[in-house]
Amino acid sequence: MAANKVSLANLADLKNASDDAIANYLNSLSFQQSHTMTDVRLAIGYGAFVIAAAAGGWDYYYGFENTKLYTAVAVAVYSLLQGALAFWISFVEQGTVYQGQAPNSGQKISIASFNAKKTEPLYRLKVTTQPAASEGKPETIELERSFTEWFDESGLFVAAPFQRFLASSIPVVGRADPKRVKSESRDLLEGDSDLLDAVMSAEAETTGTDKKSGGKKRKV
Amino acid sequence: MLSALGNPRQAAAQVLNFALVLSTAFMMWKGLSVVADSPSPIVVVLSGSMEPAFQRGDLLFLWNRNLLQETAVGEVVVYNVKEKDIPIVHRVVRKFGTGDEAKLLTKGDNNQADDTELYARGQDFLERKDIIGSVVAYMPFVGYVTIMLSEHPWLKTVMLGIMGLFAILQRE
Repeated sequence: MAANKVSLANLADLKNASDDAIANYLNSLSFQQSHTMTDVRLAIGYGAFVIAAAAGGWDYYYGFENTKLYTAVAVAVYSLLQGALAFWISFVEQGTVYQGQAPNSGQKISIASFNAKKTEPLYRLKVTTQPAASEGKPETIELERSFTEWFDESGLFVAAPFQRFLASSIPVVGRADPKRVKSESRDLLEGDSDLLDAVMSAEAETTGTDKKSGGKKRKV
Repeated sequence: MLSALGNPRQAAAQVLNFALVLSTAFMMWKGLSVVADSPSPIVVVLSGSMEPAFQRGDLLFLWNRNLLQETAVGEVVVYNVKEKDIPIVHRVVRKFGTGDEAKLLTKGDNNQADDTELYARGQDFLERKDIIGSVVAYMPFVGYVTIMLSEHPWLKTVMLGIMGLFAILQRE
């Protein structure tokens, strides 16, 4: 991860690198990642590709005149699949970069990341969590943080502040990784008693030297 | 960027992006073929035999369906000589009979003689099924790229290689 330098001027690269880091971090906390969305997208896409390849194949071997009807059908099916793919990406995926289940509580989490606005280098996320029991309502958190918090001046990704950001802002992640929850997230801790318990027990284990009340702000 | 190759799904998604660009271009071509009912609905003029109407390097758009009227004298048509794969763009100058069995004679505007010598041995006239389309529109000059690609085939490999590299390294 830290071996790759990301161009600080390229918002798309910054976003993609951060998106990749989410999966690495959450999976390292024993979250169970669900690949269903990606798999459906790949299935539709490769299905369309296979049809195009087949059309190319029979056209090459049997000529245009003999296979006109098959080609017409193939073009129609291909267009439908491309439309389905576009629909899937725009309306179902909607920017989702991670889907999974928390290790202990089984809570489902879905994280979508949006392209940064051109004028501001902000990483924008929308996190949706849903308790494992089917009667729980899904909760949505919208987050916006500057890339400067976890990319240094040369473009290297620094994992710790990124993980602190996620653990402090998302209760499910904070429960799984209490050491990373910044103690300044008072509102979050007070609203969520499980999280508070987890953070307190984690803080009790440490000697207290890595508890920073202000956090190290990097001036850019 | 390249570290994505460690994750198979991501590698598959990047390859898919490139593959879909190629296959969409191909299917658009095939779709046009089917609609125009021609195996090659866009051709490039290779010779100067139709000057001053068409120059070498012009791009021609073909239509192979006789919806309103049959192929008539004066139409510029594209045909392949039997067993050869070179499309020839010339004008119909004589027509004998009607319907699909009508016999057609073609001649390039800039040629002295008609096409009798170009036809296959023993063939004196063209039939409607030999024609792969009539010219309905054209774009000057644009086809020169194709001429360059066919005269220097290594250009094709270079172009495809560059396109592929860009598509895989970028993730926009």
